[in-house]
Amino acid sequence: MEAHLLDKKDLFELDEIDKKILNRIQGDFPILENPYDEIGREAGISSDDALERVKSLLRKKVIRKVGPFFDARKMGYRSTLCAVNVPSERLEQAASAINGFVEVTHNYLRQGNPNIWFTVIAESKEAIASILKDISTRTGVGPIHNLPAEKMFKVKVDLKITD
Amino acid sequence: MDRGDIELIRVLQDETIYLEKSPFKKAAESLGWELEEVLERTKRLKEAGVIRRFGAALTPVNAGFTANAMVAWEVERHRAEQAAEVMAGHHRVSHCYIRPAFEGFPYNVYTMIHGNSPEDLNNIISELSKIAKVNSFRPLHSLKEFKKSSPVYFPSKKS
Repeated sequence: MEAHLLDKKDLFELDEIDKKILNRIQGDFPILENPYDEIGREAGISSDDALERVKSLLRKKVIRKVGPFFDARKMGYRSTLCAVNVPSERLEQAASAINGFVEVTHNYLRQGNPNIWFTVIAESKEAIASILKDISTRTGVGPIHNLPAEKMFKVKVDLKITD
Repeated sequence: MDRGDIELIRVLQDETIYLEKSPFKKAAESLGWELEEVLERTKRLKEAGVIRRFGAALTPVNAGFTANAMVAWEVERHRAEQAAEVMAGHHRVSHCYIRPAFEGFPYNVYTMIHGNSPEDLNNIISELSKIAKVNSFRPLHSLKEFKKSSPVYFPSKKS
């Protein structure tokens, strides 16, 4: 499917310790001077080994990042999902124009009409509107449907790996 | 949030520090702060929900979730919230939002769903349809990933 597919072989290499580490650090990376002491202790390995395991999980792209996830809205930022239909011959050009904005964080080609779906996070609604206008002008595609969440029920990629 | 919080948020976004033995000490050094100040403020930001989660993000495909889809559901306005709550409660649904419908696209509840296989994914979709009592939906399978990145908050240089 997407860019970073992993060899089956690597998947099988996830052992019980990896799974313990993953289930712990997905939701609750310890905010301590030496977080890997605690991660290691809970997984029954040393602090150094815990750090090495996390590095290896990143290298294998089982995880794509470790760090904080912010609530954009609480920091005054606004986010939205946008959809636009782009004819196939202009897909690449439109996608690269859209990707060019640092405020665009996700951008996918999807089945159906509209076919391009992307997310924008910016300082204000006005900033988002101006980015969308820019994209329209640069690519000539439109209308771009701006679909900010009216209500958020869940935003958490926390999938238990052992089930 | 004060100026100190914003300075801290800038530094905490540097993902390389979490591959150090003492990430928050590293952050303290680059801020010129005491470690305790970094730990306390970080915890406070987490308690306040500014940091909604501190930890690792799985690449769902590589963690064994090989079939993932965004599914948009058409739910009558008056029961959209109730349906969205039911869907959000499912453990294979990672994101769930109500968004506006638009012309030619009557769907207003959006979910991200993660399955172990195409069959598993389809089963989850049928299950959601049943438990949330929504029959009209559109799976939006991704054909290509053009971009996936972390947002940059409070960039130090204005672009």
